[in-house]
Amino acid sequence: MSDAPAVQIHRLSKSFGGIEVLRDVDLTVYKGEVVSVLGSSGSGKSTMLRCINWLEEPDRGTIRIAGTRIGVDDKGRKMNNRELAAIRARTGMVFQSFNLWPHLTVLQNVMESPIQVKGMHKDEAHAVASALLEKVGMAEKADAYPFTLSGGQKQRVAIARALAMSPEVILFDEPTSALDPERVGEVLQVMKNLSAEGYTMIVVTHEMEFARAVSDQVVFLEKGLIIEKAAPEKFFTRPETERVRRFLELSA
Amino acid sequence: MNGQAWMLLLEGAWTTVWISGIAIALGVVIGLVIAMVRMARIPFIDQILVLYVSLARATPLVTLSLFLFLATPTFGIAMDRNTAAILALTLNTAAFNAEVWRSAFLSFSREQKEAAMACGMTNGTFFRRIMLPQMFTSSLPGLVNEMSFLIKSSPAIAVIGVVELTRVTNRITAVTYEPLPPILAAAVLYMLIIGALLKLQAIAEKKANRLAM
Ligand SMILES: Nc1ncnc2c1ncn2[C@@H]1O[C@H](COP(=O)(O)OP(=O)(O)O)[C@@H](O)[C@H]1O
Ligand SMILES: [Mg+2]
Repeated sequence: MSDAPAVQIHRLSKSFGGIEVLRDVDLTVYKGEVVSVLGSSGSGKSTMLRCINWLEEPDRGTIRIAGTRIGVDDKGRKMNNRELAAIRARTGMVFQSFNLWPHLTVLQNVMESPIQVKGMHKDEAHAVASALLEKVGMAEKADAYPFTLSGGQKQRVAIARALAMSPEVILFDEPTSALDPERVGEVLQVMKNLSAEGYTMIVVTHEMEFARAVSDQVVFLEKGLIIEKAAPEKFFTRPETERVRRFLELSA
Repeated sequence: MNGQAWMLLLEGAWTTVWISGIAIALGVVIGLVIAMVRMARIPFIDQILVLYVSLARATPLVTLSLFLFLATPTFGIAMDRNTAAILALTLNTAAFNAEVWRSAFLSFSREQKEAAMACGMTNGTFFRRIMLPQMFTSSLPGLVNEMSFLIKSSPAIAVIGVVELTRVTNRITAVTYEPLPPILAAAVLYMLIIGALLKLQAIAEKKANRLAM
């Protein structure tokens, strides 16, 4: 299965209280690809991302991470907490609000999952975490607690935490939306570096320049439907729908 | 007060400390278990626990101690004074602690749990490594408050004949005919015990003050 796409979403649907938030969403993300997900607020972007690692349980459809189906096993039986955790460990997620663990230092935040989930030895986890903090430019703050950091710094630590599990794909849910404008660039720069290194990423974002420069595919969600899916050049210069044209004009 | 009176007083203080200490340790853990089970909202069991918490909080310690000591033999359970005292204090403090823990559960942020799940942690790992340490820190003031409250209510166990720090002052007075000195000395000892408790709390909080967010 080593040639399987990093993420395959097939006919994913999800409702909240009778309202369909996602409708038959199909998306394939190949290894090393960056996919940007655009769309106005409430269009279902977060829900789509959260279904990929089963933080939300889809109503219908299948999701495969590197070929392995998540949520339901081969016999069609629902996965238990332990099985879900095992497959979630192969994905990483970066949240809008960082969600660092406040009782742990920066270094401990990054070391925690490799040790607790993968059973990695402390010394090795320390080495891995230190290297990742170096990568995101946070090595100097290794022993600081999250509350002493700026938003941009917190988000870079959160990225290192996600990388520490060597995930097949990293899911970013508006990673720069909660940041002061002058802090956005440092986080986008880290993400650009990751893409250059070949990480597979799905990024929900409102940063058009980033999406255009870094993505392999751009996906536009509207009321739970993917209404456009294209390479960034085409998406930004020759969109097919009136809706996307208007969206691009408004965000220009 | 002579040397012998002081010895008696210290023995009483020790009785207060060890009986309360066991009740506190048990009560903190049992309170946590009750709060955890209540979070699971299991029908029937949940109602039983709600009933227990309200009853235990509403029953005076004197009444509870007497009941346990006098009523249990009729159910075929022989209990010595100290056991009955520990049980009464534990049942009382566990109910209050359950409420302290419960509010820590209810106020815990969902985001941190999602971050843990997204990293592949199981519910158990998340609870042990992420939630419990933070709940402990945020509950500590409430728990310590309840602990000092328990120590101050512990004279209630004298009603079943446990010679603790307050009861012992009676005994000393029966010999010396001077009630004031032993009572004052006992008051000082209570203050020392509770002072030590607060000191421990300060140390624990210092270790955890990075949670200041
Ligand atoms: N847990 C939930 N319960 C009920 N409704 C929800 C829940 N999560 C999202 N929704 C609703 O689903 C729709 C899509 O939300 P979301 O995926 O967060 O959109 P986006 O991330 O594109 O802004 C919104 O109308 C939102 O109110
Ligand atoms: Mg969203």
